[in-house]
Amino acid sequence: MPRSGKFLAAASTGFLAFTALPASAAQILVLTEDVPAGLDYDGPSAAIPASQSGMVNMLEPLVGYAVARDKKDGVIVPDFSKPVGLLAENWTYDPATLTWTFKLRQGAKGCTGDTFTSADVIYTFARAKSVSGAAPVGWFLANVASIKGFTTDVFGKDPKAKELGDGIVALDDYTVQIKQSQPNVLLLPVLAIFGLQIYDKKIMEAHATAQDPWSHAYGNTVNAPGFGAYCLDSWQKNQSISYTANASYYRGKPAIDKVVVQRVPEASNRLAALRTGQTQLVTDLTPKEFDSLRGIPDITVEGVTGNQNLFVHMNFKSPPFDNPKVREAVSHAIPYEQIIKTGYFGQATIWRGFVPSGYPSYVPSAKDFVYDPARAKALLAEAGYPDGKGLDKFADNLQLAYVSEKESTLGPIVNILQSSFRAIGMPVTLNPIPQTQYGDRQLVKGDLPFAVNDQEKPIGVDAGYAVQLFFVSKSKGGLYNMANYSNSKVDDLWAKARVEPDTKVRDQLLAEIQDQLAADVAWAPVVEYKTQWAMSSKLTGLRWYPDNAIRFFDLKPR
Amino acid sequence: MLARYIAKRLGLGILQLIVLVFAVFFIIRLLPADPVARVVGMNASPQAYAQAAHQLGVDRPLLTQLAIYLGFEPSVQPGLLQGSLGASWVTDSPVISEIGQYLPVTITLVTLSFLLAFALAVPIGVLGALNPGGRADKGVFIYSLFAGSQPEFWWGLLFVYVFFFRLGIAPAPLGSLSPMTDPPAPISGFLVIDSLLEGQWAVFVEALEHLMLPVVTLAFVLSGPIIKMVRQNMLRALRSDFVLYADCVGLPRSSVARYALRAAMAPAMTLIGILYGFMLGGAVLVENVFSLGGVGQYAVRAVLAFDYPAIQGVVLVITAISLLVYLALDLFHAAIDPRIVV
Repeated sequence: MPRSGKFLAAASTGFLAFTALPASAAQILVLTEDVPAGLDYDGPSAAIPASQSGMVNMLEPLVGYAVARDKKDGVIVPDFSKPVGLLAENWTYDPATLTWTFKLRQGAKGCTGDTFTSADVIYTFARAKSVSGAAPVGWFLANVASIKGFTTDVFGKDPKAKELGDGIVALDDYTVQIKQSQPNVLLLPVLAIFGLQIYDKKIMEAHATAQDPWSHAYGNTVNAPGFGAYCLDSWQKNQSISYTANASYYRGKPAIDKVVVQRVPEASNRLAALRTGQTQLVTDLTPKEFDSLRGIPDITVEGVTGNQNLFVHMNFKSPPFDNPKVREAVSHAIPYEQIIKTGYFGQATIWRGFVPSGYPSYVPSAKDFVYDPARAKALLAEAGYPDGKGLDKFADNLQLAYVSEKESTLGPIVNILQSSFRAIGMPVTLNPIPQTQYGDRQLVKGDLPFAVNDQEKPIGVDAGYAVQLFFVSKSKGGLYNMANYSNSKVDDLWAKARVEPDTKVRDQLLAEIQDQLAADVAWAPVVEYKTQWAMSSKLTGLRWYPDNAIRFFDLKPR
Repeated sequence: MLARYIAKRLGLGILQLIVLVFAVFFIIRLLPADPVARVVGMNASPQAYAQAAHQLGVDRPLLTQLAIYLGFEPSVQPGLLQGSLGASWVTDSPVISEIGQYLPVTITLVTLSFLLAFALAVPIGVLGALNPGGRADKGVFIYSLFAGSQPEFWWGLLFVYVFFFRLGIAPAPLGSLSPMTDPPAPISGFLVIDSLLEGQWAVFVEALEHLMLPVVTLAFVLSGPIIKMVRQNMLRALRSDFVLYADCVGLPRSSVARYALRAAMAPAMTLIGILYGFMLGGAVLVENVFSLGGVGQYAVRAVLAFDYPAIQGVVLVITAISLLVYLALDLFHAAIDPRIVV
């Protein structure tokens, strides 16, 4: 061996010995694109998925879902028809008084040994109703579920409106009653969402100050004390976060003692680290990178069609998209199969609806969303734009916007779309814009005319919730109607579905809504793509949840 | 005289910073997005939006926001006059402590890279200049062309692929330390210094190992323009009258080269000073490739999130450091060139 070769070999051995990470069950290293920026779900970083992943591993909700009997795409998934108790053991509902009575679990302990009681539940809801954080997510969810007193009055000047009142009361240490102002089936689904997980009152109150009586600063910058499977070990914002197992966790001590989550911005480095055994689990790779890992020994790529999807957004207030023929033309100009093949490497399916297909009450559209450029051209002509003539004057509105930070994933897709739209005569240009600007124009201003969106998903598992989020008129209780879609029939049907206690009748109402959305082409659904993870084959047990965050409690050494 | 010059420069620097404070404050508010949208996310009801806007303080008149930022409303929150840069709108942490966490990483990276680049560039540049047109000079030309013409992130990814992935002689690009290593308690904020101060020799060595590839990457790229600058100026100096005279009077070759190098160094140092200030924010691509979590990454995140306090803070701090570097550079110039009077 030449001298330089000997040197490299020796150096290589030395460095690898030094940097090799233990892959034991005792601890794992997870590499992600981002780590929590805050741990307060009413705080300024609550909308960031990485922040939510921290919350769901340290806090625990009252309610969850049973595990489905069959795996989906090989991944363990919830059975949304079977809500089960987590911190709440069981419950009863009295429709006459719209009152839910929750029996709480006894013996659940937090990281410092505090025992969970009804006082923690009361504290959590009182904090949510105080709307004292930067983003009142807890209040929002309670409001969506019609919990008594969680109205918009809390934002007024009357301080009494911010007090918990009699909407939620503790009957004893292990019994809590929640009253609703009207029948609403969303209560259990929202109790399963991260934004109403239960805080450890004792620790939170210990960190309260006169200026910050609900300890938002503590939650944002120090810790999220709860009754979850993991406790915070260390946290360097934007860099890393590590968790240690909560030995007193009521479902049993987690199999992995310590989880270190490290931010590695370059996806290729996360991939390389997994391939060399430096890490046990990576997330946020591009579909192409996930595909490159399939078939590699000792690495498992798991993926499930959960609730992530891609659709083309068309603003009803932005011509020419106020014309239904144009919207329909767009839906037939989308080469669905090509996008699945090129953009997602086969890890996606055509989406034929407006609600994730795995959610209860989902109805596949009767309308045929198929690639048919000839039909698209004909529709465009019927709309008054034969071969695209006359569309030039809408050049600004024909800029197809997408989130620039997602260029590596969305770049190939928007290019395919641009070519296809141009092929039918639509002079579409591409408009990559930063995430914050995209969110601002979509969420607040509602003036984004034309866009590709792969990031909106209803984490409340209910078709009615999805419809309220995206399609109900804002004046009728809609929350996030970014396309300015408005149809009185949909509004009326949703208003009925919202208070309908009979599941069958409600499903029928929701089916009618979905049919109407398809008839109106409220947006152009494209694909449902798989949520994917790549990990060492030595790990097993991964489950999918609607927030797409991994619960480290589920992971076990093979 | 020197003290007066420094005081004058510092006064000018403070004036520049004040202008910058106002300019940045108003310019970032011209950006075409509303930071409140990021905060409220899916919860975008008008009430929630108003609540978030109030929490961030953007519902106040612009001049009131400015007064708060400057520190004229300490009852609302401390501002610049109280030594506060505000709190990040993303993390809710004080901006000054966040910059204090990220800046040492970048300063370490950039300083070591410049030292290495300088150590490489000066002898190589001199070598090229001493034999213009020769084989060594052609080699220098090719090296500097390669080093200076390719983006640093490309070299970084290439080095990661070769030295970590293929050869396994470099640590994984996962940050300043292995994720499983406990960092020393912060004293100065500089990992290599704190690990030494606390006697954690193994952590010190590990930190250097993790700096190895990013420093080589940045030094490789930086050395290109420095080599060119040194070579060109060395050539010019070697052809100047005073060198011809020195040669004629029979001074030893080494002495002549030393005089010529001294004359050639001034422009090279200017370039280094400018590049240093630029690299404090511009090393972001290398920081990104090696997951180093420096101030460049912090700045980019702040801009993308429209995190006004963080943007204002990071611009102010980087500018202040750049001004200090320029001042140091001027003093260095004066020291090596007697024609410059301070």
